[in-house]
Amino acid sequence: MSAAALTTRPPDPALLAWLGQAGEPPTSADEPAWLAELRHDAAARAPDQGMPTQKSEGWRYTGLSALIEQGFKPQQKPISALQSEDLDKALIDGLETYRLVMVNGQFEPRLSQLDGLPTGVHIGGLAELIAQDPDRLAGQLGQIAGAGQHLFTSLNTANFADGLVMLLDEQVQLDRPVELLHLSIGLDEPSVAQPRHLVVLAAGAQAELIERYLSFDQAPYCNNAVVEIRLAERAQLHHYRLQQESPSAYHLSGLYLEQAAASRYRGINIGLGATWSRTDLVTRFLAEQADCGLQGLYLAGDRQLIDYHMDVQHQVPHCSSRENFKGILHGKGRAVFDGRVYVARDAQHTDAAMSNRNLILSPNAEVDTKPQLEIYADDVKCSHGTTVGQLEPEMLFYLRSRGISAPLAQRMLCLGFAGEIIDALGPEPLREQVTEAVGQRLEQSPL
Amino acid sequence: MLSVKGLKAKVGDKDILKGLDLEVGPGEVHAIMGPNGSGKSTFAHVLSGREGYEVTAGSVDFNGQDLLGLEPEERAQLGLFLAFQYPVELPGVNNTYFLKSAVNAIRKARGDDELDAVSFLRLMKERLKVLHLNDSLLKRPVNFGFSGGEKKRNEIFQMAMLEPKLAILDETDSGLDIDALRIVAAGVNALRGPERSMLVVTHYQRLLDYIKPDYVHVLAQGRIIRSGGKELALELEEKGYSWITDGEAA
Repeated sequence: MSAAALTTRPPDPALLAWLGQAGEPPTSADEPAWLAELRHDAAARAPDQGMPTQKSEGWRYTGLSALIEQGFKPQQKPISALQSEDLDKALIDGLETYRLVMVNGQFEPRLSQLDGLPTGVHIGGLAELIAQDPDRLAGQLGQIAGAGQHLFTSLNTANFADGLVMLLDEQVQLDRPVELLHLSIGLDEPSVAQPRHLVVLAAGAQAELIERYLSFDQAPYCNNAVVEIRLAERAQLHHYRLQQESPSAYHLSGLYLEQAAASRYRGINIGLGATWSRTDLVTRFLAEQADCGLQGLYLAGDRQLIDYHMDVQHQVPHCSSRENFKGILHGKGRAVFDGRVYVARDAQHTDAAMSNRNLILSPNAEVDTKPQLEIYADDVKCSHGTTVGQLEPEMLFYLRSRGISAPLAQRMLCLGFAGEIIDALGPEPLREQVTEAVGQRLEQSPL
Repeated sequence: MLSVKGLKAKVGDKDILKGLDLEVGPGEVHAIMGPNGSGKSTFAHVLSGREGYEVTAGSVDFNGQDLLGLEPEERAQLGLFLAFQYPVELPGVNNTYFLKSAVNAIRKARGDDELDAVSFLRLMKERLKVLHLNDSLLKRPVNFGFSGGEKKRNEIFQMAMLEPKLAILDETDSGLDIDALRIVAAGVNALRGPERSMLVVTHYQRLLDYIKPDYVHVLAQGRIIRSGGKELALELEEKGYSWITDGEAA
């Protein structure tokens, strides 16, 4: 595909805005040829992928008009307004991490804490590594996501400026979790940040990664993040993703995961914030005995849409995958769960299970849940289950008969429901923070 | 303490309680006995404020308060406690957290300070000891995966923690083997006191071998048709309910 493709089909004006005025990616003389080509291809691909409409299956319940109307523009210059005092508000008490802070999509070394990293570990900013040692990224960056699930991945690839690079050598184990903290502050012009992260664990390496998204004010902005993760043989990653952006924020995130033999991935996705959010989790197994667990908890209230899409690709035999998502909907909240598991003909002895359970606390809330199992192999163990229900009156009465008020009884039952997912978050301070955040949300919001 | 006058209640279109009168004084233990379908459990549920019952006539006065106008949590805050026949499982709700929320909700409603974590744990340990329970129940979700006996013991433990003025035990003996029954009854007896009344609702005499009532009432067809001392329970055991209910019908 060439640059001409851009001109043969008039691109959507909104899309053009995201790409920059010329519809061309920002090329820099510092970038190696392979990266320029990667960006160029992505920019050329974007118009063909097109802006999704609600006629396309993957976006049936998730309209883009509100996102487009905001007229987000790529952010031009880095933000330096945040001070370490501001950062304190974003940190979680008792959580010791190696911390990489992004402010509006740009790595902010002043706020980061990467001292004392063991040997065999590289953690740092993407722009920095592109400038200093781009060869370490060749064959990795952009290769795991490829063309991606949709336009927004291509837009990120064409435009990303910065992000996290985390590279672990063979057998390395980190003594602390790595925290990737996205902080956003409002600008005069609504802007889109497109952070790009790359995590590569060599054979037998083990790590915990905490990926958080927070806002400092109520101004509208958009995050369009892409994370690429590659796990070599027997590597293990625990990945906790907490989306707690402001009620005015728009959040897009694509996670592309590639797993080699006997590798193990555990992802726990907590979606509490943003007015509109769409997350795609894409897993590909490269060899046998790989194991992928995707868990999630979402809480959607008034003026909120939270959309989780999964695409788990079993192309090889003897791999296992678990999807377990729980949702709580209140007010006029809306959520979408689409958990696709594909089992190819050769993927014998696949073990796949998918579950999505929802609690609806208000008659005005809505969840569209779609578990999809596509199985072409004949010797597999696959299951799926979906429920949408309300709080049991019996349970509420039991709590109230012990003197507990109706609103507190509801909150206790909701937290009990959510507890299964929250408990999967490894570090205790993280569990406490999420429990408190969920409790607070339920306390403040009309049910 | 509790004064029930001419209480009538229905479920849907069906009249269940048809003019029930009962007076319970402080510290008294009353047994309500009766055949299946006599309205025993309905009476317990109406007192506790469960939804699904319509009170059509009568009054319930609890220490000077009109009980029927109150929400279930308000009744509990005034000192009413229902030990459930079928305790409800609450997956994901930790038993200790549940108890602490309940104790503090009640303390707060009474104008007492809420207990901090340390004082609460101390109280819990003390009560466990009195009831000869081990603390493994506390770390689990409320009633979730508990055996029948564990569930009933957990009810009595809650009663010990909440210190009610009136405890209603709804068929607490059902589903318990004799050993479990003894343990549960011992727990209940440990909680008897001059300020705590009890209403023991049961089909069978056997619970009353362990929890000695001051008064026994026979409930049939929605009304109390006979009242007496604990010897009445023995007589019922011997002769069956038809001894009284047939006489009533004649």
